[in-house]
Amino acid sequence: MGEGRRRLLVIEDDPETAEQLVDFLSTSGYQVDLAADGNEGLSRGRSADYAVMTIDRMLPDIDGLAVIRRFREDGIVTPALIISALGEIDDRVRGLRAGGDDYLVKPFAFAELLARVEALARRSATVVKETVLRVGDLELDLVARTATRGGRKIELLPREFQVLEYLVRNDGRVVPRAMLLQHVWDLHFDPTTNIIDVYVGRVRRKVDSQQAYPLIHTIRGVGFCVRAPS
Amino acid sequence: MLLAKTLRSSTFKLALIWIGIFGALVLALLGYVYWSTAAYVREKADRAIAAEETILRNVYDSAGRDGLIAAIKDRVAPGRFESGVYLLADPSFVPVAGNLKAWPAALKESGGWYDVGAREWKPDAADHSVLRATFDMLPDGYHLLVGKNAGDLDAFTRKIEVALLLGVSLIFILAGVASVSVTRRTVGRIEAINATSRSIMQSGLGKRIPLRGTRDEWDQLAENLNAMLDRVEALMAEVKQVSDNVAHDLRTPLTRMRGRLEKAYNRPHNSDYDHALIGDTMADLDAVLRMFSSLTRISQIETGDRTSAFRTVNLAEIASEVVELFDAAAEDKRVHLDAVVDRRVLVTGDRDLLFDAVANLVDNAIKYGGEAGRVTVEVARNDDGAVIAVADDGPGIPDDECQHVFKRFYRLERSRHTPGNGLGLSLVAAVARLHGARIEMVDNRPGLKCRLRFPSPAMS
Repeated sequence: MGEGRRRLLVIEDDPETAEQLVDFLSTSGYQVDLAADGNEGLSRGRSADYAVMTIDRMLPDIDGLAVIRRFREDGIVTPALIISALGEIDDRVRGLRAGGDDYLVKPFAFAELLARVEALARRSATVVKETVLRVGDLELDLVARTATRGGRKIELLPREFQVLEYLVRNDGRVVPRAMLLQHVWDLHFDPTTNIIDVYVGRVRRKVDSQQAYPLIHTIRGVGFCVRAPS
Repeated sequence: MLLAKTLRSSTFKLALIWIGIFGALVLALLGYVYWSTAAYVREKADRAIAAEETILRNVYDSAGRDGLIAAIKDRVAPGRFESGVYLLADPSFVPVAGNLKAWPAALKESGGWYDVGAREWKPDAADHSVLRATFDMLPDGYHLLVGKNAGDLDAFTRKIEVALLLGVSLIFILAGVASVSVTRRTVGRIEAINATSRSIMQSGLGKRIPLRGTRDEWDQLAENLNAMLDRVEALMAEVKQVSDNVAHDLRTPLTRMRGRLEKAYNRPHNSDYDHALIGDTMADLDAVLRMFSSLTRISQIETGDRTSAFRTVNLAEIASEVVELFDAAAEDKRVHLDAVVDRRVLVTGDRDLLFDAVANLVDNAIKYGGEAGRVTVEVARNDDGAVIAVADDGPGIPDDECQHVFKRFYRLERSRHTPGNGLGLSLVAAVARLHGARIEMVDNRPGLKCRLRFPSPAMS
C-alpha cells in the first residue's frame, strides 16, 4: 500500500455497526466513506474510485445484491465484500453470482473483516512472482517446495507447506480460519470442529519448536498470523 | 345444511352427469326395442291381411262374385275373426257385402296400404281404432277391401310405451336416490375430516379423524392423515425440544459471561485481569455464535433446495482429504487414523457439505473412540451405489440411543462434559438426507461404525 491512505466505501444501515466499521477501518489505515442506504451507496460508488467496498446484504431501500449488480452493469468493478446476517450457505453462492467478490456473515470479528478487505484490496495491486518467501529466519522455497528455518530444513507434508505458504504470503496480517480453509482446501464453510486449529498447531510445532522466537500466532476467535518480532 | 352440501358436492354433480349419460343410453336402447317391435308387429299384421286377400281372390277366381260374397258374409258373421274388416263394393264404390257401412274415401288406388282414421270407417264408435287396409280391383270392376282393426295393434305398442316410460322413470328415480345417498355418505366422511381440521386449527394438534373400522378408502385416507398429523406433532415436539435446548445452551454461557462482566464492573480495573476476562468472554461468545450458525446451517440444508449446486464429486478424494486434515488431531490423541478407499468413487453432491459431514463423523470417532484407538474411513463402490463408513473401536453407542443421536442437541450422558454442542450428527443426517443417502449406525465389535450409503448416480 505505497500510495498512501486507500479509500473504502462502507454501505451499512445500522448506525452503530456502521460507526464501529468506520472506526476500525480508519484506525487500520483506510480512508472510509459511509453510505447509510443503497441509493446513497450507489451515488457515492459512482462518483469516487474506491479500493474496496463493503455492502450490507439487507438495506432499507435497495437489496445489497441489487446494488452490486447495478455497479457491475455500470462497469464499476471495485471489489465488493458482502456482509450478511442471513445464513451462509445459499447466500454466499447468490452473493458471488450477483458480482460480489467475497462474503462475510454477521457477526464477525473485525480482524476477519480487515483480512478480507485487505485481500480484496491487494487483488487489484500487481502481484510480483516470487520464488522465495522470507519471514524472520524462515525461508520458503516455492519452487523446491521446501522450508528452512535458520538454515535447518523443516519436514512438512505438501498440505502443511501450502498452509505455511498462505500464512507467510499474508505476513503480518491476520488470516481467518475460513480464509485458510478456502485457499488451502477449497472449502467454503466455517468448520463446526476445531480441526483447523489442530492442523495449524502441528505446523506450528514443526516450525516454532526449539527456535529463538515463535512465528505462527493464534488470534483467538479469528485465526492465525505469521509475524516475526520487530 | 347437509342437503345443501349434498347438492353442492362434486360427487353429486358427477353422479348427475353419469345418470344423464346412462339415462340417454337406456332411452336409446329401449327406443330401438320399441321401434323394432312395433315395426315387427305391423309387418306381421300386414302379412295376415295380404294372405286373407289372396284367399278371397282365389275364392273369387274359382266361385265368382257370388262365391266371394258368401265367403265375406261367412267371415263377418258374428263370432268369427272379429278384428277382420271386409267390404265388397261395386265399380261406383257402393257397398255390396261386408262389415263396413261405406267405402272409405281415402282408399282410391288399389294395391297400396292405407291407415284409415276411426271417424271415417267407424263414425259411431267411441274408440279411436285405426283401420289398416288394402284393396284390390276385381276383373268385373268391383272393389274388394280387406283390412284389420289396428286398434289392438296400437294397444300393444302403447303397452310397450308405458313399459318403457315406467322403466326409464324407475331407473332415474333409483339412480337419483343412489346418487344422493352415495353423495351424502361422501359428504359425511369429508365433513368429519373438515371438522377435525377445524378443531385442530382451533385447539391444537391433539385431535384425530375418527375411523369407522371399515378398512375402505376413507379409512385409509383418515389413517394417512392421522399419520401425517402424528409426524407433524412429533416434529413440533422436536422443535420445542430444540428451542428448549437452544435456550439452555444459550443461557449457560450467557450467564457465565454476564457474571464475569459484572464482577469486572465492580472491581478496580487491572489490565491483565481485564484482558483475560475479555478474551474468555469473546471465546464464549464465539462458541454461542458457532452453535447458532450450525443451527441455521442445518435448517438451511434441510429446507433449502441445494441440489442445484450439485456436481460430480469423488468421495474417495474427500475422505482422503478429511483423513489428512484430521491426522494432526488423531496424533494428539494417539489415535491411529487411516483411510481404506477405492480410487474413484463418484457421487453427485455438494463437496463442501460432504466434506463437513465426513469431517464431523471422523471428529466424533476420534473424540469418542477413546485414547490410543483406531479410526478407519472406508470408501467403496458397490452395485447399489457408493458407501462411506467411519469406524472406531471405542465404547460405541447403546442400541436404544442409535435413533436419537441424529436429533439436534442430543448428547449421550457420558459425552455431556466433552466439548461439542450435539449438532454434529444432526448436520450429518441433514447432509445425508439432502443427498438421498441412507445413514446407518452399526456395532463395529467393538466400537461404532457409521455408514452413509449413497444411491448410484444413475438412480439419483
